[in-house]
Amino acid sequence: MKRLLRSWFVLVGALALALVLGNCARVLGIKPPDVKPFPHTAHLDKGINCRECHGGIANSSNADGTMHIPGTDTCVRCHKKPHDTHDCSNCHGLGYVREAVQADVANLKFDHRSHVQREHGQCVRCHRGILDNSDHVRPTMAVCLSCHEHQDDFAMRTCDRCHKNIRDEHVMPSSHVVHEGDWLREHGDRAASERDLCSTCHAERFCAGCHGVTVPALPEKQAFDDPLRIGVHRAGFMSRHPLEAKTQPGMCTTCHTPDSCENCHTKNSVSPVSGAKSPHPPGWLGLRGEPNDHGRAAWQDPTECASCHSGAGEKLCVGCHKVGGMGGNPHKPGWTSNKRPMFDQPCRQCHGGG
Amino acid sequence: MRRWLLALLIAAALEIAPARAHAEPFQLRADAFVYSQGSGAPTGYVALSGEDKLTPWADTEAVLWAGNGATADALVFLVRLHHPKNWGELRIGRQIISAGAVRPIHIDGADGRVRLPTGTSVEVFGGVPVQPQFQYGAWDWVAGGRAAQALGRSTTIGVSYLQQRDDGALAYEEVGMDFASAPTRWFDVASHAAYDLIDPGLSEARVSLAGRFGPLRPEVFALHRSPSRLLPATSLFSALGDMASDSAGLTLLWKMFPRLDVLPILAARTQDGDAGIDATLRTTLRFDDRGRGAITVDLRRQGSGLDPWSGVRLAVRLPITQRWQASTELELVVPDDNDPNPAVRALQRARGTVWPWALTSVSWSPVQHWQVAGAVEAASTPTSNFEVNALMRLSATWGGGT
Repeated sequence: MKRLLRSWFVLVGALALALVLGNCARVLGIKPPDVKPFPHTAHLDKGINCRECHGGIANSSNADGTMHIPGTDTCVRCHKKPHDTHDCSNCHGLGYVREAVQADVANLKFDHRSHVQREHGQCVRCHRGILDNSDHVRPTMAVCLSCHEHQDDFAMRTCDRCHKNIRDEHVMPSSHVVHEGDWLREHGDRAASERDLCSTCHAERFCAGCHGVTVPALPEKQAFDDPLRIGVHRAGFMSRHPLEAKTQPGMCTTCHTPDSCENCHTKNSVSPVSGAKSPHPPGWLGLRGEPNDHGRAAWQDPTECASCHSGAGEKLCVGCHKVGGMGGNPHKPGWTSNKRPMFDQPCRQCHGGG
Repeated sequence: MRRWLLALLIAAALEIAPARAHAEPFQLRADAFVYSQGSGAPTGYVALSGEDKLTPWADTEAVLWAGNGATADALVFLVRLHHPKNWGELRIGRQIISAGAVRPIHIDGADGRVRLPTGTSVEVFGGVPVQPQFQYGAWDWVAGGRAAQALGRSTTIGVSYLQQRDDGALAYEEVGMDFASAPTRWFDVASHAAYDLIDPGLSEARVSLAGRFGPLRPEVFALHRSPSRLLPATSLFSALGDMASDSAGLTLLWKMFPRLDVLPILAARTQDGDAGIDATLRTTLRFDDRGRGAITVDLRRQGSGLDPWSGVRLAVRLPITQRWQASTELELVVPDDNDPNPAVRALQRARGTVWPWALTSVSWSPVQHWQVAGAVEAASTPTSNFEVNALMRLSATWGGGT
């Protein structure tokens, strides 16, 4: 009896494990989906030429605006007894593949006629995904470039020889300038040398949306319904921002003006300027021999000091650190400047003698 | 005067837009965005943008927004004229200038570029740095340029220069050098460095080397940043000098399964003898092959700097039907409170030991090119024990855009 029970447990356990693994495989994308792309290879194996179904493609030019995707009437020429009277495309093939194909017709300048003639009807030379029954029917740009030399066009950023309006395509490059990894940090490195390449796909507002001085709301805040959109100020950034600022000194200043912290804090009534309490910890400011942390903190991140004490607030520093003042020399050892101490701002505040 | 100028810009955009929206190359997008905060009155903005490609040598773009009247402004207002074969282009209006290694800047002005088939490119720009509400100083201006040369098919090297004056006083003057190369399909490198000419020294230098090996994309990066040189030279705090921060790290994107990506990011950062480790582990699982639905989990530890913290973030995007989508985002931040100074530790604890934040949203596209989205956001922050916001957005496009 025990042996029987054990066998049952093993059997049930194995079934459960298979179920879990099977679902894992489905979730992870390892197992092919239930909805399959159109079985092109089955037709090729029967010796059916592509042009028998995609009639008219050999004479198709870009101007006619159709991809000659076969309809039910084409299918029933061979499949004389269909299971039902509905359109074959309701179940066979993938709707989004057909949509992508139509989008290509709308967005690309392409002439099938000349290509079919040149390749003697061997469509798979370009449509390589057909051989794998892939849903990726569209040839990649790398396939185009295997015959067409577009290096000069690429260098001159003239994408419009093939792309009617590349910004409207909403496609991500898969063979060059691939946007992956920690792209939020990397994008500046890549854009420094090739900003005009970025602008072939991205409109000006894409850059200005984050880097503009007059930004009404950051893109990730506008697209609050897309939490997978990357952005610097994602999620609870309002809480995190003092921590983030201290982690990367100077980072905020790459976009924000020094006084933007004070402006925002004042506007939202959380500014230490308007309150009676100092935000600084004990031991921040002291006479010689007493704890005095502010100098080192200022050298570590002067942008943080500037965020509250810029403009008129600078007088607070000058009061002690002017030449001959009790605060001593505030310059970091080894610091040099091309400014004229007696004449230029901000030097003359301390060195001007007035 | 400024309000009149802004009103004129908005009126011009509204006047042009509907008339030409019927022409296929022209696009118009409008967004209305409203949010409520527990402590403030509802506010919002409207953004309009358009592109005109009726002529092959010119296009335009504008993004204008209106708040409660006092905050209305323009983000982009640009006309771009270019040679049909892109040998040269001229951009006039409000725009972002990003010329090589020198800092990106938002200007009202002009940017001209000449490109030659030899791979040579020369760019010159000038104008007035953008100020909110057009509140320019009397002698505010910025000018600069970049010269670049392509070396072979995959390498570009460039030098750039920028000078900015605020009220006539020199605020920024820097030169930069940038380099990018993708010698093979599996390796590329990008780097740039900017040198401050006013307080001589390296203001920022960055390098990133990335490779591609099947499902793996490793990247090594390094960064040097001098905070005082990022401030305008007219600021007293630029004259202190600073202890620059240096960091170096590694990211490794692993496309572990067709729908599962794992991205660990590890960086070491040093400043003034203090060193720390920053680490992030980001995992993204897509619910379908196209990634319409997905879940991502971020684990973060920021161990460097004066205020270390740890956090976790969960984000889910779930398409319910073709027209409906739901999403949610949760974040927990736990700041460290182990400062050796008991008084500082007490201050740290006073702002809360855990900062939770959550947002749940639903979006609906009743017809093509129209979308409505609404969300509720709740958080406990260092300044408020509990706050709730409601957010709403209405978006529409005309003329072929999506």
